[in-house]
Formats: sequence, structure tokens, C-alpha cells
Amino acid sequence: MTGIMKFSYKLKSILGAVLVLLASSCEDYLDVNENPNNPQDAPISGLMTNVTYQSALNVFAVGDITSNYVQYLASPNPASSSDTMEPVSYSGTWFDLYNVMTDLYVMIGKAEESGAGHYLGASQILMALNLGMAVDIFGDIPFSESFSFETVTPVYDSDEQLYGSVIDYLDEGIQNLQGETTISIGADDFIYNGDIDKWMAFAYMLKSRYMIHMKGGAGYNASEVLTAVDNAFQSNADNAQVFFFEQSFNPWADVAIDNANLFLGGWISEQFIQALDGTSYPTVDPRLKLMVGTTDDGEFIGTVNGAGRGNAPEQGARSTLVEDQYYTTITSPLLIGTFAEQKFIEAEAAFDTDKGRAYQAYLDGITAHMTMLSVPQVEMDAYMADPSVSMGVGAFTMADIFKEKYVALFLHPETWNDARRFDYAYRNMSVPENLNPDLNGQFIRRLAYPDSEKSRNGNNVPDVSLLDRIFWDAN
Amino acid sequence: MEKMFTKLLLTVFVFFLVLQVYAQETTITGKVTTADDSTPLPGVSVLLQGTNLGSVTNLDGMYSIDVPSGEGTLVFSYLGFVTQLVEINGRSSIDISMEEDVSELGEVVVTAFDIDQSAKSLGYAAQVVDADEITKTRQPNLVNSLQGQVAGVQITSSGGAPGQSARIVIRGVNSLNPGANNQPLFVVDGVPIDNSTVESTGTPRGMSNRASDINPNDIESMSVLKGAAATALYGVRAANGAVIIRTKRGKAGEIKVNINSSVGFEELNRLPKLQDLYGQGFSGEYDPSSFWPSWGAPIAEVAQTVPGHKYQDNWNRAFDTGVQIDNSLSISGGSEKATFYGSFGRLDQDGIIPFSGWERTTAKLSGTVTASEKFNFGGSINYTNSGGDRVPHDRFMERMMYWAETQDVRDYINPDGTMKTYGNTNPIYDARFATYEDNVNRVIGNINLNYSPLEWLSFSYRLGTDFYSDSRTEITPGPMGIDGENPLSSLGFMEETRINSRDLTSNFYVTLKRQFSADWNVNLRLGNDVFERKFDRVALSGSDFVIPGFYNVNNTSQVFANQSSSVRRLVGFYGDLTLDYKNFLFLNVTGRNDISSTLPKDNNSFFYPSVNLSYVFSETMSLPTWFTFGKIRASWAEVGKDTNPHILGATFVSPSVFPLNGQVGFSRNSTFGDPLLKPELTSSIEFGTQLAFIDGRLDLDVTYYKSNAKDQIIPVPISDATGFSSYITNAGEIQNSGVEFVIGADIIKSDNFTWRASANAALNNNEIKSIREGIEEIIVGSQFGYGGSSVTMKLIVGEAYGNIYGTSYQRFGADPESQFAQKDLPMIIGDNGFPARNANQLILGNAVPKWIGGLRNEFNYKNFDLSFLIDFRADVEQYNQFDNFLAAFGKNEYTEARNDVIVFDGVLSDGSPNTQEVWLGQGEGPDGRDYGAGYWRNSYRTISENFVQDASFIKLRNVTLGYNVSPRLLENIPLSSIRASIAANNIILYTPWDGFDPESFSAGAGGNAIGFTGLGYPGVQSFYFTLNLGF
Repeated sequence: MTGIMKFSYKLKSILGAVLVLLASSCEDYLDVNENPNNPQDAPISGLMTNVTYQSALNVFAVGDITSNYVQYLASPNPASSSDTMEPVSYSGTWFDLYNVMTDLYVMIGKAEESGAGHYLGASQILMALNLGMAVDIFGDIPFSESFSFETVTPVYDSDEQLYGSVIDYLDEGIQNLQGETTISIGADDFIYNGDIDKWMAFAYMLKSRYMIHMKGGAGYNASEVLTAVDNAFQSNADNAQVFFFEQSFNPWADVAIDNANLFLGGWISEQFIQALDGTSYPTVDPRLKLMVGTTDDGEFIGTVNGAGRGNAPEQGARSTLVEDQYYTTITSPLLIGTFAEQKFIEAEAAFDTDKGRAYQAYLDGITAHMTMLSVPQVEMDAYMADPSVSMGVGAFTMADIFKEKYVALFLHPETWNDARRFDYAYRNMSVPENLNPDLNGQFIRRLAYPDSEKSRNGNNVPDVSLLDRIFWDAN
Repeated sequence: MEKMFTKLLLTVFVFFLVLQVYAQETTITGKVTTADDSTPLPGVSVLLQGTNLGSVTNLDGMYSIDVPSGEGTLVFSYLGFVTQLVEINGRSSIDISMEEDVSELGEVVVTAFDIDQSAKSLGYAAQVVDADEITKTRQPNLVNSLQGQVAGVQITSSGGAPGQSARIVIRGVNSLNPGANNQPLFVVDGVPIDNSTVESTGTPRGMSNRASDINPNDIESMSVLKGAAATALYGVRAANGAVIIRTKRGKAGEIKVNINSSVGFEELNRLPKLQDLYGQGFSGEYDPSSFWPSWGAPIAEVAQTVPGHKYQDNWNRAFDTGVQIDNSLSISGGSEKATFYGSFGRLDQDGIIPFSGWERTTAKLSGTVTASEKFNFGGSINYTNSGGDRVPHDRFMERMMYWAETQDVRDYINPDGTMKTYGNTNPIYDARFATYEDNVNRVIGNINLNYSPLEWLSFSYRLGTDFYSDSRTEITPGPMGIDGENPLSSLGFMEETRINSRDLTSNFYVTLKRQFSADWNVNLRLGNDVFERKFDRVALSGSDFVIPGFYNVNNTSQVFANQSSSVRRLVGFYGDLTLDYKNFLFLNVTGRNDISSTLPKDNNSFFYPSVNLSYVFSETMSLPTWFTFGKIRASWAEVGKDTNPHILGATFVSPSVFPLNGQVGFSRNSTFGDPLLKPELTSSIEFGTQLAFIDGRLDLDVTYYKSNAKDQIIPVPISDATGFSSYITNAGEIQNSGVEFVIGADIIKSDNFTWRASANAALNNNEIKSIREGIEEIIVGSQFGYGGSSVTMKLIVGEAYGNIYGTSYQRFGADPESQFAQKDLPMIIGDNGFPARNANQLILGNAVPKWIGGLRNEFNYKNFDLSFLIDFRADVEQYNQFDNFLAAFGKNEYTEARNDVIVFDGVLSDGSPNTQEVWLGQGEGPDGRDYGAGYWRNSYRTISENFVQDASFIKLRNVTLGYNVSPRLLENIPLSSIRASIAANNIILYTPWDGFDPESFSAGAGGNAIGFTGLGYPGVQSFYFTLNLGF
């Protein structure tokens, strides 16, 4: 009995010791859940790099959708949903826009906390850009209940109200850029490399862009637009753009390279070709050959939207984007906002009150774009001298502004905003073949809400048709 | 928690220690041997009936028992053998031989921690598949060898590629998480192993599930533990059940050598019905450079003017005959003190898609040493090298789709090495040059120590490791720089991936065993379990090759690196108490407390109990003599579940494109893990009965189960506008219930001829009980279909897992509120004369089979044996993406109807019958109307309903005919056995499905989107010749 008792005692102490040891070491042993791959926090400059880079890509992503609607591009395949204005679910673009806005929201918080006024201003400006782009394509979207994670089903704010926020962000951004900062922006900024004056000019340029959208609506004031323009870009050197990299190609260059290798894309619409090749307008635009490629026979032949390439082979018989042009070089910039665009905004804003200024701005807009493309002076002069281009103040119309802006904003999403404001009244523009029958022969007016949003936030998603207009389009 | 366990442990110890030892009078000795080959049987329990006086045979089969007098009955019992009762009758020496119990009743189930238990005593359902049943199937992947053999276990082979993964799900899907692993834990010789499937990034490549690294020839048995009660002791990792694998071991006696050689051939087991009338072009016009493979002119018509123009029969000619060669050698033996088992195995397999292949080399050594009566130890080490050429099978099938039926697909390469094509990418060229190779080196090992200081007390310790490295290289060549070439990629791309994974498992337990009186047996086990997994993955990719054809990342102009690693640790304490009353009432109570590194610190420790009871009523009731055995059982159990490592809170990520210009960008991760996450809890109940009749020749096992998994940890997809896309939190509940039947019969049992049949069937019902408020649905996955016919697998409250949503036909009188397509109502025909499409997403079918089961028959006639295994699944629908593509490209047989004028059967929107004639062709019809791209492209392919089809099947999983050479004939040669067999596998006996094998699915074993067959690697049927030699 005693032997067993002794044994029991021994066992008890050994086991007890083992268990106590286990319990105390357990906690440390199990404390290994900190994420080894993703940091808990990121430096503000790292966020800056990403938001400037991604904002440019967002301009591309939206432009990639809208370029078929405004008939810059056409699908080589018949009845492609991108051409025929079907309700396509652009979940990826929706995510990209919110992903950048989330980072901007985080940045704004961080900049406020650390007194980094310049980062604060820059992030407010980019917030305005991305928010504005999102509203322009989707209309009402969630924003006031976004990012703070107080609800998983944020409500939708009206597009009109959100435009107010866009303008507010720009005004605050300008104010913050004018003030002090504890940290200076530098090479982490892929747009301006830390040039604060240019950021301010960019903010004014964006302000003029979003204000001109509201033309004809309540609260629009042409002189405010012109004031913004006065403070905005002075030349192409101020353009908001991101140059691409040997390690990461310009996405339009990617499209051109892929197409050359028969992964088809970047086919030019007949509408665009005919606007520049002397068909729709009396002059041949010297920019055409600098913007798109030719057939094997050296001709410019477009593809009819919605019709596909018909009997044409996959290569050599239609104009497409080709590598190494202004828009399609590996290291080409993606254009976010340009001096040329601003000039056409000025022209439109001044048209009713100061037609002379408007006309001059129109001519300056063409020149700015031609300069950007390095059109030879002789050709530039010849084009500018053509009476169909320099028609004089008297004959000058709004349609002239929209036509030249259409050319100058090649591949840019802003053209779809213009097209809707202009009721797609570009010369010879007609609805694509095989048009989505639900549109009753009319052009598309907005994008459908993506499926991801409908399934995750269904109760809040407004019920809209592709013919329902964004508030500024209803004017 | 730990403190409670300490107390419990010590109390129980003292309780056992104070038991008195009885006095003895007479001694009986003897030897117990097996009836089969007269070898000594150690470990047999010898008990004086009606008392608690007992003994156990030693290694020589010898026992010695002290009894009060020379009268009474001795009970000899040993797991897996028929219990014998022997009257003492005053003898002092009693030798007996014991017979193996071959009926289901005598089945030995390997349960938690490698412990043998008689199926009779279990309070829950479990089923065993033995070595013979495994190797007969000749499946290189041991998961596939379970197909059709176990009730309630669904095995789905993800495709026919060599080494391709197979998925195993027991009693339905238990998680709402589309990314969850719903598969059971695999345990080899008491040590859990990794059975994950690490799929390729980019296009699917059909990677292996890691359990396929085990050589099936080394397996002795696989016990499938189905419910929570069975697996509670394994903790969180076995929440979906467990497959307990015991490998072969050496036995005392002569050294045995076994050689097994098998050669097999594989071919497509099924093709869709295809048309061979129309060739390349569109609108009925011939065009030899057209992208369109089959919308052209009639082939016979063109052939009159174009020499060599013919239907090329590409779908039969593109595939090779697969070859599988499997050789293995094993040596085993030992003495009473030590045993060993060693084996080598080599499998070479070439698949039916050209240039696909997989190889596996295995080596295993295991041994046991009995150092003394009190101490023994053992260990095993298993090395595997596996990997292969993983062709891009989805792309292969897609490119086959685009390839013109009038162009020879086999003529794919030019003399200069560039692709030979009329325009489209040749699938075989792509399979050959767009390569992806994996090379896995893996070691699974364990050592175990057992020390029994006292008869009723033993300490066991087991340390196991599962370590592997997986080295992968993907290459897609860029242009060669030759004029006019069609490169596979415009820049070229390569990626080097290195994966290292290490599992460590430590398990210590104490067993206390005591007979209290003649009636009561108690067995208590208390233990501690520690698990750690370290996983590292580094990928380096480059694109744009500077020198064409030189495949090194240094030779690319764009280089990106990516690294991820994780650590997961688990510590568990458990107790397991079994009470056995008079060998007819068994009560088992378990408790386990897990502490997981993956949960928030305040919620990371959780306890869960289980209790099960079985009552062998045939021992206590007087039943008719034909009623041999009857048992009822019941169990209730809970199992907790943790989550993946490193998911809590918000983090930032650096997109892989950086650095650019020396800058590294960061973005907030779109996944947010709830910092207040708590463990999931699955509770389940189970009732069952096991019955045997006519001396055990007929047996029946029926089980009902219901399990509810609550507080599910799922990544809830949330609006991107919240700032996150995915919120990992406790949300939702899923319920599975069902019935399982296992029936077996020895139909004929004579000296020369025996026939045994066994069948199993299972019914599963699943319901999603709740999802987090505000979230209407969770998308498990979706698959592309042309013209808006893409389908989605969604989870919605009140519905079952596996519903497939898509577009349907508009139907007259359909309930607008219904979520289901009402297929029995008349179709509405539009003004254009074609069926009108309903673009709303409705439920078109469910991809989880309601019924699954199998039937096995075994015949033995003298030296011949014949067995076949048939399995089935019923009431299941899948999306036939292949059919959708074939319809879009005019390739299936039904698109031959392209020049017909018909009136669609249906009603107009006002309910009146449709009478409008329409033409089904492309372009201008006979009525002068422009039909555009035609009915098949404009209408048929855009309606998902056409492609969500009945995917039931009955398959002949395996049929084997074997011949064993009589031992008499072998007396003069050094061989002890020769067996030759032929077998056939995976032959589809019946399916309404029009396509490749409906069993293949796109997601791979790691995925849950089982409703999509996609364009995956087609299923194969195979034929094997096997020779087995024993020395």
C-alpha cells in the first residue's frame, strides 16, 4: 500500500509539474498569430504611391469600358456586349474604385493625425477624382456610410449630393495644399513627384471638369468654372498623368501588344476613323496616323460597333491600336487630366458669355493636344488653317467644341460624360449594330450596378435601367 | 481549463490505485494460437466467467491464470476473433486456437490514436475498408479507392489527369464558407497528415491532393469515422470526420517478400454527342481561315472542290491512350522482440491529354521493438517523391472547342518549332509548350513509445512529422522571333514557386484500464495533443523573355516576387472514459479542450464534450435463433472549430507590381477579420442499429444523423463600399441530416464457392438555417456561359447547399415570387417566334447528390475470385459548360438542326398557342428574314436552363478477376504465392448526361463549387493487368 502511495505521490508531483509548465508556456507558444505577410500599418508614402498609381489605372479601367460606347474602339467580334450596350456587370471596376477610395480614406485620417497637410490635400483631390468617376458612370452610390465600417450594408447617396462632396473635397484639398505640412510629398507621388503647385492646378482643373457637367442645372455658374480654369493648368507640362514602367507596361500598350499577337483587342471604331480621315469632316486630321495603326495596305479602316470584323482576318485589314504610338508605348503616360481638356471646358463655359474667349480656348485646346502628340508644325498649321477647323468666332458652334474634345480625349472616360451631355450628337454617330433591344434604339446612359453589389447590399441598390440618367445628364 | 484537467486526472489516478488485489488458489496455463496458421496470439484476454479474474497472453501466446477452484468457464477474447468459452473441468493446462471473425460483427475499427476497437462496442457509425478492397481498385490516389465503398461518403474525382486530386466529403458540406475545407482529417498510423490541394495560380492544372503521396500498396486498412462522436478526440481538425489509415506492419515469423506489378491503360470514358456534317466557317459558308470551327458549309459539299477537306474526328484523335505502370516491393518480418516492414513503390502514369503525366516514388520503413514486457517502441518513416507535367487541361478543352473540325489537330508544329495553325491556337501545341511541373519531396514519420509500469496503467507518447517541399515551374514561351509565327503569349512568362510545409504532432496520453467486478470494465484515457503547421510559399515570376527559349527568370525584363507564410498551433487536452457493463452495454464519454493560436486570445480556449451509448440487446433478450445479433446505439457530440491563421483585424498589402521606381506602394487589405471571433460549434446527434441474422450471414447497419454547425466562421462577402470586400466573422448555421444503410450477405458459402454481397446507400438533406443579417446570399462560385448564361452557386437561407442559379425560359403562369424555374409550365414564345428568355436568376438544379451508394459483389470459386463494385449517385444536377460551348460553336449533335423550319412548342404571352414558323439557321432564311447568328447562338446558348442537367450516374467502379496459384504447385519453387488479376475501372454504365464524365468538376478537390463541370480534364476508364508474387 505504501509503495503505491509513494508512487502515487511521485506521479502526482511529476504530472502536476508537467501540467503547470504546459499551462504557462502554452500562452507564449500560442502567441504566433500576428500576420507575417501583411503589416498592421503602412507608411503614408506607401499609400501615396499606390493611390497615385491606381488612380491612373482607374482612369484606364473606366476608359476601357466607355471607349466602346463613344465608339473610339469596337470589338472585333460581332454583338460583343461591350459594343452593344448590354447590362454588363463591372464588378472589378467597382471594386477598384472603392479600393482606392478606401486607401484615400485611410490616408486622409493618417494625414490629419500627423499634420501632413500636403498629403491630406493630395488625397482629398484624388478622392474627388475617383468619387466623381464613380458617380459619373453609376449615379447614386454608397459613400456617406462607407469606409468607417459601422455597417456592412451602406446606404446609397444621391448622385447630386455626392457631386457636392466632390466639390467640397477639391476646395478642402486646395486649402490644405496651401497650408503647412509636417511631411513633404516626394518621389512617392507618381503624378507630380511632390510638386504642390501642380497639385493645386490639378484640383482647379478637376473642379472645372465636374462643374461643367452640371451646366444647365441649378447651381451651375459659368464664371465659377472660368475662375477655376484661371487657376488651373497653364500648359501641357501641368498635365496630371502617370508615366508607366519597363516593369509594368502602360495598359493600352499591353492591349496593342496582345492584339499584335492575336489576343484581339484595341480595334478602332469606324466612327473614330471617319471623324479624322476626311469622311465625316472635310479635313484629314494629321493626328490620326499618330494615334492608331493602319491596315497592311496602309489604310485606315475602322470596325463598325456591334458588327464585328465580318470577313476581315484577325490581322492587317483593320485599324487597331499599335505599339509605340503616343498612347501605346510601354512607358506612355496614362492621362488623368490634360491642359487640352481644360481648354475645351473653358471654351464651353465661356461660349454663352464670351464667345471670343471660347473660340480662342477651342483653338488652344486643339494646339495643346497636337503639341502633346508632337504633330509636325507644318501639318499642325495646315490643319489649324482649314476653314472647317478655324471657322471663325461667328460660325463657331458647341458641336465644334465637342468634336475636337472627342479627338483630344481619345480613350479617356470623360468623353462618355460629354457624349451623354451632348446626346451622342457627334456627326454620323449611330447606335451600334445588334444594340441591346431593351434600349429601344437609344444610347446607353449609365452602367448597371455590378452583380457583386446586388448580392451583398441588395436592399440598398437602386432599381435602375440603362436609360436612366445621371442627374447632370437629365438637364 | 488545464487546472480542471489536473484535478480530474489525479482524482482518477488515486481511484484506480486504491483498488484491492484479490488472493488466488489454482493456476491454469496454456497457449493460444490462431486457427488459420497456428501462430501464437499475444494479447488475448483470458477471463474466468462471472468474475473479474483475468489474464492476458504474452508474446508467445502463453497465459497463466489463477482461479479459486478447478471449476468454471474461461472466456478467451481477442479483437477480430470469435470469442471462445471453455469449461475448465479441473484441467490445469488448456490450449486453444481462435478463429478470425470475418463477419461485419467482428470488424475492427481503428479509432482515435491508433487504437483498435470492435465495431460491436462502438456507439457511433464507422466503416472499414481493408487492404484488399483498396488495392483491387488500382487507384493511384487512395482517396479514389474509397469510391462507392463507404455509406455517406462522397468521393469525387476532379478529373482524369494523372495525379489529379479527388475530393472526399462525409455526410455533406458543413460550412457556408466557399473556401472552407469540408474534407475529413487523414491520419496515418496515429499521426494526422496534410491532405490539402495547392492549386496552380492561373489556369487550372489539376494538382494533387497530398494524400495521394501515400502508396496504396502500403495500406493495411482505412477506417472512416463519420460523425462528431467518432472524431471528438482528434479535435478541431477532424470536425468533418476522419479517415484513419493503418499501414502494413511486420509480423513475427519468417521474412515475407511481396512483389506487385501492374500495368494499366486509360482512355476517354465518354464523349459528348457531336455533329460531323458541317465544317469551318460561319453562316453556312466555307472559310478555311475562319475563327468559327463549325458554322460553315456542309463538309461533304466542300469536299467536292477542296481536296482533303473532311471531318477530322479530332475529339477521338487528340487524346492518347494513357499508360500506368505501378511496381512495388515489400519486405516484412520479425521476431517476438522486433518486427519490421519495408517497401519501395514506383508509379509512372501518362495521361490521355498529350504531354500530361505524373510519377510517384515511395519508400517506407517501419518497425516495432518490444524491449521488455513493460516497454515497447516503434516508428516509421515514409519518403515520397511525386510530381508531374500538369497540362493546362481547361485551356486544352477550350482550344479543342475552337479548333476547326475540318483541320487536323494532330498536325500542330512546324519544322522550325513554331505552331502550325490556320489561325486558332492549337491545343496540343499549347499542352506541350505551356508547361507546369511540380516536384514534391515529402517525409512522413513518427516514433511512438509505450510504457506500462503496471498492468492497468500505461503511458504512450507519439511524435509525428509530415514535411514536404513542393517545387513548381511554370513556363509559357513568348515569340521565337520568327516571322509570321503564332506565339502562345505575346511576351512569354515563367514562374518559380517553392512551397515548404511542416506539420508536427505530439501526443501524450495515459491509459488506465481496470475490471472492477465481473460485470464492469473501465477504460480511461487522458492526454495532451500539440499540433503545429508551418507553411511557406515563395514565388518568383518573370515575363518578357529577352532571349527566346531560355527559361530563367534572370532572362526576363519584368520580375515580380511574392512571399507568404503562416504558422498555426493547437494545444489540446482530452479525456475519454469507456464503461463496459457485461459486454453488452457500452458507455463512452469524452471531453476535449482546445486552445488555438488562430483565434483572438480571449476566445481561443474552448471545451466540447461527447457521449455515446451502445446496447447489445441480443445479449440480454431471448431472441429467435436466426436473430444472431442486435445492437442499438446513440450519440451526442459537439466539436469546436477554429479558423485559419493570421486573419484577424485589418492589414495592409503591397500589390505585387511594386517596387516601381524604387517605391513600394501599400493598400489596405480588402479582408477584415472580426477581432471578437469565437470558435465555431458543430453539434450532432446520431442513432443507429446494427443487426445480424442467420449466424451472421446477413447483417444490416442503419444510421440516422443530424448535425448543426453554428457560429460559422465565414468570410462574409460585403459591399466593397464598406472599405472591405470580405468580413470574416461568426455568421450563419448549416444543417445536415440523413440516413445511411449498410447491408451485407454471405449468399453462398460452400467449400468451393462463396458469394458475398454488400451494399451501402446514403441520403443527405442539407439546409442553410441562417446567414448574417443584411446579407442575402453567399456566392460559392460562378461559371461562364455564353450570352449571359453564366451560372452561379449561391447560398440562401432556407435553401440547400449546391443550388445552381441561371437564366431560364419564360413560362406561362409562372409564380413571379418563386425562386425556382418552373419547368413543367408551358414556355412563352416571343413575337419573333423564338422562346422568350427569363433573365432573372432562378434555381435550376442542385449539385449535391441526394442519394449516393455502392454495391460490391465478391465471388470465389476454387482458385478464382471475381469482384465488382458499382456505385451510383442520384438526384443531382450540374452545369454542363461544355455543352454551352458546343452549342455556341455548332459542334453538338443537336445543332445539326440548323436548316430546319420549325414552330416552337409554347404559348404566346396571352396564352394562345404559338403558330409562327421560324428558321434555325444563320443569315437570311428561306422566308427572306434575316436570322442573324441563328437560333443556337442567339437564343439557345443564352439560356442556362438548357445546360443545367441531370448528372446522376451508375458506374462500374471496378471489376477484378483474379487467379491464385495453388500452394501445392509452389512447394518446389521459392515462391509462397502467385496471384494474377485483370481489372477494369470507372466504366459508365448509365448516365443521362450528354458530355464527358459528369464526375469531373472544375474547382479541384480544394474547392466547393462542385456544380460546375467546366472544361476540366475528362474522365477516363482504365484496364489493368496485375501480377503479385509472394516469397
